[in-house]
Amino acid sequence: MKKIKPIRIIIYIFLIVMAVIYLAPLLWVLIVAFKDNNHELMVAPFSLPQSPSFANFTFAWTAGKLGIATLNSFLVCTISLILSMLIGSMAAFGIARLRWKFARLSLTYFLLGMMIPVHCVLIPLFSRFSSFGLNNSLVGLILPYVTCSLPVTIFIMVGFFEGLPNELIESACIDGATIYQIFYGVCLPLGKTGLFVTGLMTFVANWNELLLAMVFISDDLKKTLPVSLSKFVGPYNTNYTQMFAAIIIAIIPTIVVYCAFSNQIVDGLTAGAVKG
Amino acid sequence: MDKLLRNKKAIIVFMAPGLLLFTLILFVPICQSIYYSLCEYKATSITGPKFIGLKNYADLLKDDTFWIALKNSFFFLVFSCVTQLIMGLFLAGLLTNIDKGRNLFKNIIYLPCVLSSAALGLLWMFIFSPKFGINKLIETLGVQDFVKNGPLWLMDTKGFIVLPMWVIAFVALWQYVGQSMMLYMAQISGISKSLYEASYIDGCSKAKSFRYITLPLIRPMVATAMSLNAIGSLKFFDLVFNMTEGGPNHRTEVLATHLYQQGFKYSKYGYASAIGVVLLILCLLVTAFINKVVKTEQYEM
Repeated sequence: MKKIKPIRIIIYIFLIVMAVIYLAPLLWVLIVAFKDNNHELMVAPFSLPQSPSFANFTFAWTAGKLGIATLNSFLVCTISLILSMLIGSMAAFGIARLRWKFARLSLTYFLLGMMIPVHCVLIPLFSRFSSFGLNNSLVGLILPYVTCSLPVTIFIMVGFFEGLPNELIESACIDGATIYQIFYGVCLPLGKTGLFVTGLMTFVANWNELLLAMVFISDDLKKTLPVSLSKFVGPYNTNYTQMFAAIIIAIIPTIVVYCAFSNQIVDGLTAGAVKG
Repeated sequence: MDKLLRNKKAIIVFMAPGLLLFTLILFVPICQSIYYSLCEYKATSITGPKFIGLKNYADLLKDDTFWIALKNSFFFLVFSCVTQLIMGLFLAGLLTNIDKGRNLFKNIIYLPCVLSSAALGLLWMFIFSPKFGINKLIETLGVQDFVKNGPLWLMDTKGFIVLPMWVIAFVALWQYVGQSMMLYMAQISGISKSLYEASYIDGCSKAKSFRYITLPLIRPMVATAMSLNAIGSLKFFDLVFNMTEGGPNHRTEVLATHLYQQGFKYSKYGYASAIGVVLLILCLLVTAFINKVVKTEQYEM
């Protein structure tokens, strides 16, 4: 029989403690969200709910407007995702494959965007959008989201397109394909992995974005999930169990997706960050 | 083929949307922001921005809250760079050395990185609430009257770096350490096994091979992870906003929350732009500094 080294056991005990530190807070919120009322929370915050009910969830979903916020978030993030992938991969193709003088320079220009905090553009954008009537509309949110996703999308996709063999494009040329067909029919399908990675990063980042959404949207029916959540769980609400349910509603979609694709997501996001 | 790839029209079609969007939404507003920071500009003023030179920056120097925010932001920067480096490397080192359950632990620790920090901020606010959170837990575990006598956590105001800042910094570490860990793990698993085998034959212990093989080889990644951390902690907003909103009495204000308060609560656009410019300069300086100090030439592997 193989002897188990004591150092192994210490490592595993440490890792299990870490896992508890990571999962316990989430589990606690889940338990409290099923409790009946504040009284039960105050008396026995760490015991299982006596009569579990979904009442808190339904309240937060409807009266807390989290339902409509989830829909808004989904709309904004999906449209931003499609647009940023399209515009980003087009620009990446232009930089990586087309032959012109300023290709490298424009790549540098895009990459500068990674270092720029979005806070700096908040005020000019807000006053500009107000004068165009774009404040309080989801379009006004999608535009900056797409823009902020461009640097990382372009960076990763340039890497992918540059890795494609030259012969591929040559043979497509000989077959008489136009440049648009080469992009759409040859390069884009081969860059699927890259698109998946950038798509994930974009979607996660935009789904969780709070500051821009909070500044640009004041209409309750147009707010995105993080904003509606922050408003619902504000200092004026005293019903704690409902707030806990709201937190669960806000994080459950991400958790479900994460559990389903965790390996791809972790590897994908890291691959993206490694290159960035 | 060359003709096809040099086609002017195609270049414009491919590049124009991206360049246009990027310039209009990011680049032009930054220039505007720099201009606004030199102006008296309030949301209520009908005449628009009025040039007043460096007055906003002079006001910043006299603003106590700005200094608190700057101090807190720096605290965050240093704390997150140091702790994320240590914890991230430590966890990466542990996880690359075990086989069973590596993916499980990796995925658990990475989980908070993809969750909304707005929601997690609220969650931790409840955990550190004196009435039913962590104090109650310690009391349940057997310490008498801890709810009454325990620390106030997010409401405490004593000390140079107040207790709430430490709490928020801890939560930030909890949430984002997975990112650093993953970056280091990716780099470590790229190191060739033969290097380690050679070192074991030469009589190296595991710890020694970590010090003399792993550390030098992942140094470029340390620069990347640190710059990500540094920019992230300077931009830090969601957690602070949802855990304390800069309170109590502005003691936990950071640059981003101060900017938000001045710009959108008091509508002082010019003044808030000045804070934004300070933030931008800090971001650029810190990235340049880290890359200069930490980054060295890539080793051949």
